[in-house]
Amino acid sequence: MSGITYPPRIAPPYRVLRGPHLLRQLRRTRSGKAGLILVGLVLLGAILSWIGLTPHPPEAEDLHATLKGISLNHLMGTDQFGRDVFSQVLQGLGVSLEIAGLATLIATVVGTLGGIAAGYLGGFTSTVIMRASDIMFAIPAVLLALAIVAALGPGVINSSLAIGVGYIPIVVRVVRAPVLSLKRADFVNATRVLGYSRTRVLLRHILPNVYGTVAVQASLSLAWAILAEAGLAFLGLGPPPPTASLGQMVDASQTLASFAWWTLAGPSLAIVIAVLGFNFIGDGLRDATDPRSRRS
Amino acid sequence: MLLVISKRLISTLITLLGVTVVIFVILRLLPGNAIESSMGVNAGLLSHAQILQLDHYYGIGESASSQFFSWLGATLSGNLGVSLASRVSVSSLIGQAFPVTLELAIMTMILALLIGVLFGIAGALRPGKLGDAAGQGVALVGLGIPSFVIGTAVVTILSSGFGYFPSSQTWAGLFSNPWLNLQQIFFPALVLSIGIGAAIMRTTRTAVLDVSTQNFIRTARGKGLRGQAVIWRHLFLNALVPIVTMSGIQLGYLLGGTVIIEQIFVLPGLGRLLVTSITSHDYPVVQSVTLLFAVCFVILNLLTDAICALIDPRQREN
Repeated sequence: MSGITYPPRIAPPYRVLRGPHLLRQLRRTRSGKAGLILVGLVLLGAILSWIGLTPHPPEAEDLHATLKGISLNHLMGTDQFGRDVFSQVLQGLGVSLEIAGLATLIATVVGTLGGIAAGYLGGFTSTVIMRASDIMFAIPAVLLALAIVAALGPGVINSSLAIGVGYIPIVVRVVRAPVLSLKRADFVNATRVLGYSRTRVLLRHILPNVYGTVAVQASLSLAWAILAEAGLAFLGLGPPPPTASLGQMVDASQTLASFAWWTLAGPSLAIVIAVLGFNFIGDGLRDATDPRSRRS
Repeated sequence: MLLVISKRLISTLITLLGVTVVIFVILRLLPGNAIESSMGVNAGLLSHAQILQLDHYYGIGESASSQFFSWLGATLSGNLGVSLASRVSVSSLIGQAFPVTLELAIMTMILALLIGVLFGIAGALRPGKLGDAAGQGVALVGLGIPSFVIGTAVVTILSSGFGYFPSSQTWAGLFSNPWLNLQQIFFPALVLSIGIGAAIMRTTRTAVLDVSTQNFIRTARGKGLRGQAVIWRHLFLNALVPIVTMSGIQLGYLLGGTVIIEQIFVLPGLGRLLVTSITSHDYPVVQSVTLLFAVCFVILNLLTDAICALIDPRQREN
């Protein structure tokens, strides 16, 4: 046996990680652990707002208690209409996660399919997809989002679309790279020998191997989408009132912050926790799926 | 070499053409038209004949492709149309706003490179030490806090704490009142440079760390070169390509960031023009400003690659 040399195997660049295993790996990395805690807090807040369990109704005005500081009753104080800032922040987090989630769904589904098609099929399909993604990439993502919102008008669905579209070319590029090398891996050649259909190879054998890469991009995209959503709302292009949104709260606090700092601090803290949380999870997932990045 | 350059230029031109198509499709073919956006509710009062006349005036009646080519032709010849809101030509609006944004972008990049490169090198020279850890932590937070939060906080602190808000005075040109101009541009640029500087710093640190483990660095130190000479001539120059690449990537973030920062600091630049024209449905302006941003971004990316090729002979071969 010793005389037999096996052909060099081209290892898939990323390990396949699924479900519970993924979570366990994530907990082992330091940034993953930090990310899980922060995102857990954000999710908890968003869920409280979705099921209507905020400490006060977010839209309830109380003109006897305007611009009150931090207290046990108002954890983040009240704004100029006497609305509870903490409840508004929770509602804002809920809206923010809805938009960011939808945007990420759009970006990852379209981007992954595009990336797999470009990597595996090659040829003309690949040229068309890569050209299109180059063109999208040539417009700064925030500006693309601004232009789309300008054309479609503000709203939850429109904002998600506007933000998600800008992230598609990034996902396409990142997914295409591992698919290019997977295409030549032994187990993929084997599926061809077995006569599997192209769809089956793509969906059952190629796709699961890029889950790790996609997961990293999805969590980074969530962080970016939360930032972008807040930015759009800050510019007055977010979901229309009375729905609270974090960016719009920061915008409104510009005239209040000098004497009521909590109106700025509350929503800012929520944005920072959410963005850092998803960024940390992205870093953690990268460490867990790509052993090479762990050394630094 | 010449072949590579011309290939790259042609593909850039194709990309730019694609960008014009995308912007045209987003802003012209989606719902809402120029008549409704310029006349608002009054558009409902127009007679059929008047609508047809206006359609003809704005060129809406024609097919999408002929609209696109007449727009592209006019844009290329420098005719960007007339603003629906102010009835001033778009090119004169852009002419006033562009220098402000350009100055902001240059100032931001200078600050970001200073912060990023210096702290990045300092961290990489003593990895894991207190200074490095502190720098890493600050960079992480700098990446996580959106610029409009820092901007709002800075404006609040400056104006209420120190009664200092240079932007409340009208914009001073760089040449007419350089000192006031510098004051007006410094804080917005500083705020914008924090996120970009943080990203550059992390890249610089990794790149310098990578280079510092190489044999030629040990040789350079071994033959008795002074520390500073090793750092700048051997470490920094070899780590420069990833730093330049990262700076290029951050340009997209920079251009998007100017939109928000100009809003906070009331700077009369392109970003502010874009936002006001979006809210007043002034499509000719939105279209031209978006296109201008995209063209700048593409050209800057091309420049980034050219700089990388100049720095590193190995890059020239691909």
